[in-house]
Amino acid sequence: MDFRFDIIVHYLPVLLKGTLFTIGVSLVSILCGSLLGLVIGFGKMAPKWYFRWPFHAYINIFRGTPLYVQILIVHFGLIPLFYGKTYALMSAFVALSLNSAAYSAEIFRAGIQSIDPGQREAALSLGMTRRQAMRFIILPQAIKRMVPAFGNEFIVLVKDSSLLALIAAPEIMYWSNTMKGQYLRIWEPYLTAALIYFILTYSLSKLLNYIERKV
Amino acid sequence: MGIRKTWAMSGMVALLVLAIAGCGSGNNAEGGSSDGKSLKIATDASYAPMEYMDTDTIKGFDIDFIKAVMEEAGVDYTVTNTGWDTMLTSVKQGTEYQAGVSSVSITDERKETYDYSIPYFESTNMIMVKEGSEIKSSLDLKGKKVAVQAATTADELMSGIMGVDNGNLKRFDSNAVALMELNGGGADAVVADIAIVNEYIKNNPKEKLTGIIDKENFGSEYYGILYPKGSEWKEKLDPAIKKVIENGKYAEIYKEWFGEEPDTAALMNAK
Repeated sequence: MDFRFDIIVHYLPVLLKGTLFTIGVSLVSILCGSLLGLVIGFGKMAPKWYFRWPFHAYINIFRGTPLYVQILIVHFGLIPLFYGKTYALMSAFVALSLNSAAYSAEIFRAGIQSIDPGQREAALSLGMTRRQAMRFIILPQAIKRMVPAFGNEFIVLVKDSSLLALIAAPEIMYWSNTMKGQYLRIWEPYLTAALIYFILTYSLSKLLNYIERKV
Repeated sequence: MGIRKTWAMSGMVALLVLAIAGCGSGNNAEGGSSDGKSLKIATDASYAPMEYMDTDTIKGFDIDFIKAVMEEAGVDYTVTNTGWDTMLTSVKQGTEYQAGVSSVSITDERKETYDYSIPYFESTNMIMVKEGSEIKSSLDLKGKKVAVQAATTADELMSGIMGVDNGNLKRFDSNAVALMELNGGGADAVVADIAIVNEYIKNNPKEKLTGIIDKENFGSEYYGILYPKGSEWKEKLDPAIKKVIENGKYAEIYKEWFGEEPDTAALMNAK
């Protein structure tokens, strides 16, 4: 069998470092992305159209353009604007967070709007303020419905982070590309990367199933 | 729960085995199963001026060179732009494409997987910095941020100097992005093939860039045609390559692309 485990073993230490990078970037990005997404999601539900419009545009732009291009624009356009020069780690966080925010916003909005309006009316008629109705009646029910969609978004984000190899962020794909270059071999680096991503996302989905049952 | 987990894991393992078997079976047809008359060559035409796409035609030094060799050998051939990864896998299998010509440097590690023709091009890596940089030689690159194209000998060279997992060594998908990183300030230098660097400096005079040649630390390297292991084409084409270099046709093509005479003596002596 023509499959060289020795070169995988040789690259295992850096691949593990890359895995840690991937996990770190994904975690921070999903956190920042969902916080930002919460704001954008509420923004999109604003009653006045001119208030709603920018959030609407944000979601459409980030969902409607490839992440590949977004990463390049953030890395070579946005980050140098603030930071003075390119900075891969920062670009990685920012690009993934901004992208994830657009999807999270829709998850929040859909979750909240999926709750029957009667629930809100009932809460208001009990004498609750609109804020209280949202906090105690609508959100707890909505969050339960959001968990599976969020899990999905998290898994997609972990896999999408492989695009960061484009700007030389040292994640899993980056190191498997390096392995490919040294030996000019395809299967060893790509299958190893696939296996690592699979292990990551599979454990993640198990964790999310657990959370789903607990909520 | 436990059972489901086992199922999923064995599914993944099965997938792996399938894939390995897949690339294994390709190897059985080693050496190219073609009728021996026509040769299908793969290339990654994104490496101007060596090989690049001019809208829908492939051009470049390598392309003109392979044309001369094939005329010399009297062999029909086609060159297809397959991209790098497809070139690597399909040439390794040898069924669809029986050779790859894409400025592939000859290294010992790669020889474990492929056969190479005799060297047909001498190259060296070159450092590109912004004008006024304090970097004067490869030794100054230590501790600096260096951008390279992943999977090139520049990558290998700098991995050797700086360490493979050095965070200051940044590997990009293409030289174009590596050069953008230099312009963006994320890198202090780019290391790439001399032909690429010269072409870039020539095409971007406004960006105030200089190239540094460091013969002492960046030795010569040689490009070869890539064949599957045990390919019959190596024996057939090596004499034609030699002939093209000896009869002056090579120098003619070289001058056309690079405006100077090649050092064919060094090329013939290279192993």
